[in-house]
Amino acid sequence: MKLIKTALAQGFIRCHDCGYLIKSKVQCLCPVCKSSVSARRHQNLHLTTALIISSFCLYIPANIYPIMAVTELGVTARHTIAGGIMVLIQKDMVPIAILVLVASILVPLMKLLGITLLLLCVHYRWQVNVHLFTRMYRIIAFVGRWSMLDIFMISILVGLVNMGGVANVIAGPAATAFAAVVVLTMFAAKSFDPRLIWDHQLT
Amino acid sequence: MAKTALLFLWPCAFSLVPVYAFEACPECDLLLNPAEPEHGDKAHCPRCGYLLQRPHKHSIERTLALSLAGLILIVPANLLPMIAVKLLGNSQDGNLWSGVLALFNEEMWAVAVLVMLSSVLLPLVNMGLAFVISLHLFIKKPSNYLIFWMRWYQHLNEWAMIEVYALGIIVAWVKLADDADIRFGFGLYAFVGLLIVNAMLANELDCYTFWQRISQLSKK
Ligand SMILES: [Zn+2]
Repeated sequence: MKLIKTALAQGFIRCHDCGYLIKSKVQCLCPVCKSSVSARRHQNLHLTTALIISSFCLYIPANIYPIMAVTELGVTARHTIAGGIMVLIQKDMVPIAILVLVASILVPLMKLLGITLLLLCVHYRWQVNVHLFTRMYRIIAFVGRWSMLDIFMISILVGLVNMGGVANVIAGPAATAFAAVVVLTMFAAKSFDPRLIWDHQLT
Repeated sequence: MAKTALLFLWPCAFSLVPVYAFEACPECDLLLNPAEPEHGDKAHCPRCGYLLQRPHKHSIERTLALSLAGLILIVPANLLPMIAVKLLGNSQDGNLWSGVLALFNEEMWAVAVLVMLSSVLLPLVNMGLAFVISLHLFIKKPSNYLIFWMRWYQHLNEWAMIEVYALGIIVAWVKLADDADIRFGFGLYAFVGLLIVNAMLANELDCYTFWQRISQLSKK
């Protein structure tokens, strides 16, 4: 038996944009901010799934292809994301290497797997530790933008080191794929409705 | 006579009712009585712990001042050189735009557009929105665009990534420091100022308070 009353069970819908409670059970316009309001963003589950599948596909080229090419005195070296981290370790810059490892490999992977887990949980109505899953959703939503670190770092290097044959940095094809992964997973996290995790819990 | 008075009073009485008679948690949909925390306190959802509101004293005035400061700082942060590199006798300096332009020249236009949006354009748009919203609330001038601005502010907020860019500068600096001689320009100091102002603004602008003020203003 559910002791806790949700707004939906009481016939209210919370406006996603301004927080106003509307006495309605169907999709309508919010009287305060005029945005379209629905009780749960169920139809968004398809959108989230599509975004996650595209991100999984793009995650592969993002890690296989070189993300940048560094030319020094006529010698060109191409680095993948993992290769760039190895270079940092070889140069004894372990803290920065860990930072880049977390931001550009672990965080995107954790986001992809985490959102997949959330989608499965909602779809199969798993009985889970809700607090754990809510915390996971919050971490995913918060941490997403920090993956842009690698893209920004490359754009700064590309802009600064641009001296012809002497020294030159060029962004590689993986940069586009990686940027797409970051953007798509951010949209996926934003389109997921965390209230769905709570809805099917019996306790 | 009494009836007309009642009719006359009815819309007034309606607008005196607190705007949000009930509220619901955005993350778990628990129906709640509106918490009215003291200034500086925080209200969390009792079920899932979501931060519902954290009203500040003079939230609107401070947002106005901070967004104005941010709009002023954005100009030098964008125009002045941030970092100068000297490498094997060649020297070069760059600002926020040089990376974007170099990426455009390499025909990496998707990445270039993304970097331009998240490091230059959207921080500017967001500062501007925070400024116009808090200005209208400060001088109590209703506007039909207020709800529109506020919605866009909320949606774009996450895409303005000055603080991530700052971390990117640090990583790029560490990567270059071995081989090159690096100097910091005034653009970087303005950028750091912008970073601080941006963080303070994000802390000061409580969406709950702002939406309440906006709906109070548009009901008058
Ligand atoms: Zn809650």
